[in-house]
Amino acid sequence: MSVFWGNIFLPVVWMALTGKFTLANYFLGFLISSFALWIARPPGEVAFLVYLERLRRWLDFFFFFLWELVVASAQVTYDILTPHHRMRPAVIAIPLDLQTDTEITLLANMITLTPGTLSLDISPQRDILYIHAMYVDDIEEFRHMIKERFEKRVKEVMR
Amino acid sequence: MLETASFWVILPILSLSLALSFIRMVLGPTLPDRIIALETIAVISVGMIVVYAIATGEGVLIDLASVWSVVSFLSIIAFAYYIERWRSKL
Amino acid sequence: MIDLLVLALMLAGALFMLVAALGIVRMPDVFMRMSCNAKSVIIGLTLLLLAFTLHFREIGVGSRAVATIAFIALTVPVASHRIGRSAYLRGVKLWDGTIRDELGEALEAARKNGENDADR
Repeated sequence: MSVFWGNIFLPVVWMALTGKFTLANYFLGFLISSFALWIARPPGEVAFLVYLERLRRWLDFFFFFLWELVVASAQVTYDILTPHHRMRPAVIAIPLDLQTDTEITLLANMITLTPGTLSLDISPQRDILYIHAMYVDDIEEFRHMIKERFEKRVKEVMR
Repeated sequence: MLETASFWVILPILSLSLALSFIRMVLGPTLPDRIIALETIAVISVGMIVVYAIATGEGVLIDLASVWSVVSFLSIIAFAYYIERWRSKL
Repeated sequence: MIDLLVLALMLAGALFMLVAALGIVRMPDVFMRMSCNAKSVIIGLTLLLLAFTLHFREIGVGSRAVATIAFIALTVPVASHRIGRSAYLRGVKLWDGTIRDELGEALEAARKNGENDADR
């Protein structure tokens, strides 16, 4: 973790040293400091590559989320604009594998941000998340879908 | 072109949405319905500020938009707290 | 050219807001109103702010617009989760077509077991 923060703040030092506070200079400092950190690490722990890998995972996560957003909002928009309601809403309990607060918050916020689903409550032992969903064809299948697609992604990003 | 389009197309659409949310706020059978309508009205008005800023070329108005979104978030949280603590039926 | 793009973004954003407003008028219960409206509103506002950034193309103004987007995307889900939770626990009725209510079953079971429910 300290490597991560070093990579964030060392470019600021670089900017202060060179006296130019611009975005391009930040990126230059970022490259140089990650190279320096890469040299300074003991062998076997390549910070720069780990960092790139994490960045790739976050980007992956972001685009996956954007895609979910587009699909779900198209569905909801169609339902709002046409006269018949097609929805089959349900309140579903989802058993959680996630443990830390950050992960649970990320998952709950993601579920709320996707149109058509809303996270309602979490059990006192923090192992079950209750969500309200609008388009449920089969409850077991939906639960499986949330666990497979959302929770797995969150776990991949945070670990 | 942008100015004409904003004043004759975009802002009327936003005003229509404001009117629709206002209908829900008047009708809304329960208190949460009204609060949701209020939240929608707040975000739509932030959108109107942004469109007005584009139309008139006043970039400074973005500060107004961000402060307004902060204040509306706080008011929504206060309302949610109020629902939880309220003793009578909804 | 840029003006056309800005115009398209503004139009899309305004239409999303209109859909959100229609949604909260047409949907049958609180939870569905919430789950379709808050997100359309966020998407609409994001599109409007993108148009704003594209129109001004200055780093000072653009960074504030991006900060506003981030702030809205972080706070609106929290607010609607909070309202949804308190509305549910205060006993707002679900729509008749709701096929299953597992939170209600869990609360009922907890009440039968005499569990302390005070912190909800």
